[in-house]
Amino acid sequence: MTIVVAYKWAANPQDAQVGADGAVDLSRAKPGVSEYDPVAIETGRRLADATGAELVGLSVGGPQVGTSMARKAALSRGLDRLVVVADEALDGARAATTAAVLAAQVREIGDVDLVLTGDGSVDEGAHLVPAVLAGHLGWPLLVDVTAVERAADGGLRVTRSVGAGTQVLEVDGPAVLSVAADAVVPRVPGMKDILGAGKKPVAEATVGQVAVSEPAVVGRKRPALAQRKGRLLTGADTAAVAAELVAALRADGVL
Amino acid sequence: MDFSITEEQELLLASVRDVMERACPESYMKECNEKGEYPQALVDALTEAGLTTLGVPEEFGGTPVDTQTLMLVAEEITKLGGPHFVFGQALSIADMLEFGNDVQRRQCMDEVLAGRVGFVLGFTEPQAGSDSSAIATTFTRRDGKVYLSGHKTFMSNALRARYMLCLARNADGASDEKKTNAFSMWWMPMDATGVTIEPLKKIGWHMMDTCEVYLDEVEVDEADLVGVEGNGFMQAMINFEVERLLMASSLLGMAECAFGDALDHAATRKQFGKPIGSFQLIQQKITSMAIKIENMRNLVARTAWKIDNGMPVQTDSALAKLYCAQSANEVIDDALQIFGGIGYTTDCRVSRLWVDARVQRIGGGTDEVMIHIAGRQILKEHTK
Ligand SMILES: Cc1cc2nc3c(=O)[nH]c(=O)nc-3n(C[C@H](O)[C@H](O)[C@H](O)COP(=O)(O)OP(=O)(O)OC[C@H]3O[C@@H](n4cnc5c(N)ncnc54)[C@H](O)[C@@H]3O)c2cc1C
Repeated sequence: MTIVVAYKWAANPQDAQVGADGAVDLSRAKPGVSEYDPVAIETGRRLADATGAELVGLSVGGPQVGTSMARKAALSRGLDRLVVVADEALDGARAATTAAVLAAQVREIGDVDLVLTGDGSVDEGAHLVPAVLAGHLGWPLLVDVTAVERAADGGLRVTRSVGAGTQVLEVDGPAVLSVAADAVVPRVPGMKDILGAGKKPVAEATVGQVAVSEPAVVGRKRPALAQRKGRLLTGADTAAVAAELVAALRADGVL
Repeated sequence: MDFSITEEQELLLASVRDVMERACPESYMKECNEKGEYPQALVDALTEAGLTTLGVPEEFGGTPVDTQTLMLVAEEITKLGGPHFVFGQALSIADMLEFGNDVQRRQCMDEVLAGRVGFVLGFTEPQAGSDSSAIATTFTRRDGKVYLSGHKTFMSNALRARYMLCLARNADGASDEKKTNAFSMWWMPMDATGVTIEPLKKIGWHMMDTCEVYLDEVEVDEADLVGVEGNGFMQAMINFEVERLLMASSLLGMAECAFGDALDHAATRKQFGKPIGSFQLIQQKITSMAIKIENMRNLVARTAWKIDNGMPVQTDSALAKLYCAQSANEVIDDALQIFGGIGYTTDCRVSRLWVDARVQRIGGGTDEVMIHIAGRQILKEHTK
């Protein structure tokens, strides 16, 4: 069994600078494995350990994706090996292109049973890549996945979070799973993992022929700030004020 | 000259930050400090990530790393507001791993791997502080057993640790022995009959207990001797220099922690219609703090580099410990001053750093003892 985890090497949003006009500047942010992707890697590692599968990391992007730091950072999180497509042509690539290149690589790796992705990347957060990737592969896509295990018949049993509850599905063919951000707590790579990362195999692949018509972004706008009511509840009797607060929230349909 | 750190070190520090973010929020530190509780959840998280056994040989379940890496981790933990004592056991247990027998090593490592303290370091006594040759705790042999008697003081972790590495002199030995052959190390269970523990009340370091420990005819076995009889002091010395450097590195982190907080405050606190950071007297403090931090970092890094390259560091480590202890206290004091009144409240973590850093000019060898060690050595090297 081969499990692929698609991950992104992206700017860390914690280093973002927010200008007075609300514009987010990520130019000075340090890159790292995109915030939610370690959750997908951890989910994959646990499944791979339980099933004896190989866990292959796959990342496509600009040249920075292929740096030694980027490779070690990903591999130290528990992947067995990596396939990277680091190409200037993919610098700043958007969902359609990224997903097409990922799909080509999944086919190239061959015999892949499962592709895991994170919940969304921390920079753009469009949540599109898993869907487009599944479309290219012609595989089913399950999102908000909180658990995945081997079913008794050899297929996979996938738990999804739906609304306030969960749904359990059995999948018998290859699939793309987008793992919920809180599915598991990813391990913290220790020194052994970090030292071991430099010794794991990495294959560099090329973009190849990918014909993609990427929809053009023709405008971007921040959401208008909602008008606040600015109501202040005061009083010496805290229980009474709390009751008043609950009543007000009910009246506004918040509760 | 290359001042950069390796990719592996950078990734390790990212892991340290991850653990600290998850397990060491300031609210937790504050709670532990106020309640006088050991931050076990933090130690457990560091242990789970394999950080507490960094620097421990592989055969004992650790991950060997160079001194430089150990110092970077120690610095990062205190820089993020963590207590210094949660890291660096690799150095304090080195004596046991080097001189202990198989049973003692196993017992010590079981403690460390379980996130507990390896042992209490039983040196100091009321009459034997800087002058450890005055240690008066004795061991005596009777009917095939060994009995320890005496009074140890300032015993860190005595309430929690299961063993003490107890330095004692032979009650039946000659009285003219020197420090270098008068003492033996004994591996003593803290729950043995005859051990009485009384906590001391301190002005800081509230997360870790420090106690008086009275030993009244505590029975141990011949097999509990650590290393060679009479070599206790020399055995303990093997690691002093790198332990001093570890203290220096933790102090550097504490200074950086206070410095960062002070910078935030200077940039946001407004008086006379301006951020206080715009006043030159505040900038003067900030500049002098920055210089001291830079000096501390260089001293620590260069000494670690020397250790990793097999060079002697007797003077360097004493200088680093002395300078970092004094400068960290100065930097933290300046930070408290920049905070003004709020800095003197327990709401502000700089106040905790202020009391916690103070002891580092005393413990692990006082400032004066560091001067004594370095001064003698510098002159000796000059005149040879
Ligand atoms: C919180 C805390 C935890 C500790 N934990 C431990 C522990 O776990 N295990 C342990 O064994 N010890 C521990 N210690 C003890 C510590 O190592 C001693 O406090 C330290 O070595 C100094 O000894 P002292 O307190 O007796 O001071 P003293 O040696 O009495 O010194 C008093 C003053 O005289 C100065 N002085 C002494 N000799 C000279 C000299 N020759 N020249 C110039 N000045 C001199 C000193 O520098 C100091 O300023 C701890 C101490 C503290 C405060």
